[in-house]
Amino acid sequence: MNQNIGILEANYYLPPTKKTLAQVFEDEEKPTETFAANVDFEKDIGIDALHVAKNETAADLCINAARRTMEKSGIDPKEIDLIIDFTSIPEDYVAPTWSAAGQVQKAIGATRAFATAINTGGCASYQTTLKVACSLMSANDRYNTALLVAGDKTPEFNHNYFPITVVSDGGSAVILKKNMTKRRILGVEVATVGRLHDMWFIPGIHNRKPEDIGGKYPRWLHVCGDVQRFNKELIPINLFMFRKVIQGVLKQVGKKMQDVSYFVYPTFSTWDLKAFSTAFNVPPERMSGAGMHHGHLQETDMVVGYVDALEAGRIKDGDLVMLATNGAGFSWGASLVQH
Amino acid sequence: MRAAVGILAATCHLPQHKRSVEDLFREEGANFSADVAARLGIKQVPLQNGDASETASNMAVAAAQKALQRAKVDPLTVNVVVEYSIMPQEYLVPVWNMSNKVQAEVGASKSFVVGFSGGGSSNFMVALSSAAAMLSENDSMKTALLVTGDTTIPGNRVLNPDDPVTVMGDGASAVVLQRDAPGGVVIDTELWSEGNHHDICYIPGGSLIHPDDMSLYRMQLDKARYDAFPKADTLRRMSDKLLERAGLKFSDVACLLCSNISAQDEAAMQQAFEDKVSPVCAPNRESHGHLQGTDFPLNYLSLIESGSVKQGDYMLSVSHGMGVTAAVSLLRC
Repeated sequence: MNQNIGILEANYYLPPTKKTLAQVFEDEEKPTETFAANVDFEKDIGIDALHVAKNETAADLCINAARRTMEKSGIDPKEIDLIIDFTSIPEDYVAPTWSAAGQVQKAIGATRAFATAINTGGCASYQTTLKVACSLMSANDRYNTALLVAGDKTPEFNHNYFPITVVSDGGSAVILKKNMTKRRILGVEVATVGRLHDMWFIPGIHNRKPEDIGGKYPRWLHVCGDVQRFNKELIPINLFMFRKVIQGVLKQVGKKMQDVSYFVYPTFSTWDLKAFSTAFNVPPERMSGAGMHHGHLQETDMVVGYVDALEAGRIKDGDLVMLATNGAGFSWGASLVQH
Repeated sequence: MRAAVGILAATCHLPQHKRSVEDLFREEGANFSADVAARLGIKQVPLQNGDASETASNMAVAAAQKALQRAKVDPLTVNVVVEYSIMPQEYLVPVWNMSNKVQAEVGASKSFVVGFSGGGSSNFMVALSSAAAMLSENDSMKTALLVTGDTTIPGNRVLNPDDPVTVMGDGASAVVLQRDAPGGVVIDTELWSEGNHHDICYIPGGSLIHPDDMSLYRMQLDKARYDAFPKADTLRRMSDKLLERAGLKFSDVACLLCSNISAQDEAAMQQAFEDKVSPVCAPNRESHGHLQGTDFPLNYLSLIESGSVKQGDYMLSVSHGMGVTAAVSLLRC
């Protein structure tokens, strides 16, 4: 793969309204299942408040993030050759029939671009999309600039993703460009364990039950997770799969774990962050997520963690940055960016 | 692209049960006149009969298994499963996607999965182009399994009943792509989208904007905007651009495959493409209707079986879809 494709710019948009975690737990249905990890889900999660979109649609979140990123980069929208939406939760209209990519294309005036969407990987859709975008750019001389964009608006009263995390609303965008000398994407590795496909899903309107409608906890579009299987089948392989994609991408580009200066990792919870940090012997100061002030933002976590680290001066010229995450499906992904 | 990538095998898996278009029109309260019948050129469509084996994902699994067998490819050597469905799946996409289930059930456990949204019938060519790019540009990747399963929404098989555009059937298909495959070489794909028309054809109910409005859970088409969009001319312009990039002329192309939308749509393609649309498309359209992304594998298989193309012949595949999108792929048989 062409290793001169790099991140020209990245940014995110978070709706200004915030909701405290205490309020989220008060408003939403309380899970009754037990979680295998030895933690108190509500007390130990490490997130204080969430961003909640009010009147903004999920596509608005995408568009706001895209505009911010375009503005920051200074590039003309007409330079964009590809737009790929990598949103991982339900969008404004039913997918895969519709995606927000076309609406983003219209809103930003990227009239030369081809717009499409990648709908797999859950929170790891960032890595899947990087893999596809870099391959398309590498294979085709005419694709020089790509805009990756996501916007997640959590269905009402479904911010509690027990036993994993609590989720915020927000959007993110990344501009990839060829012939970059810095922030080059050296490699991307993705792995999927498809047998876990039915452990985390959202029934459609066609297969919701009447009892899901109305009442104190209307469950339209709410995630259904099988906590028993989560405990038995996902947790035992999670770190193994992370190791697989991390070693995979390092091998792809001839680097070693000790070459990595900084890790961008999702903001699921403090215990999850600690488990990763311990397993891979990465000190917290070399990882994004400390403080977890925005809450978990699905696939946008990768962009938020990266942008915040850059702005805080935690990533420096010459640093090798690893972005690693997992997501529904279930998939794991890791990418390496050379600064 | 560095390495050539080609189609090793393609299959379709369609429900046994078929319904006449006349019956479906009656059932959906649409007027089936002689004029409509002539414009559509569709007599019957395959439809799932409610059997568990005929859910979209189960048909996709069956198609994928057959394609791998036909290609003589060990599922463990598949590097990526690429999904190109268009209709809503068993659970809501993008949280769930049938590609994960396909990966598990065919035993492609060393692969990862990727699916595409928003391109309508062009989704197949988006998948084809992306898969070809991944195989050609990543040394560790050699084989891709492309797969779809689409089942229509009951009561919503006639698209735009007031002025019908097509009749949609159910079905699944799969294509095995491999680096250095001897035939079916994917030379290049031209993709185009016009975001101003992102809502020309979509399902308004069942997601964030109208989560609980079942009456909006049906595919709707803005016919005036659909008609105004110059589909055939756009595809011809894109084809000429693609051929020029490949150093070819239109006269070098042996034939063209189009989607099985309607006789009217095919007639427009014949006109724009100088009568090069393959004769295999019309009978497939009459007997199957529009099968979304499965139209290409169905027509491609018929073309190969017809013996009307020989090794080395160039063919184009063209499609327009919601989004709105348009796509052209150039292949060498």
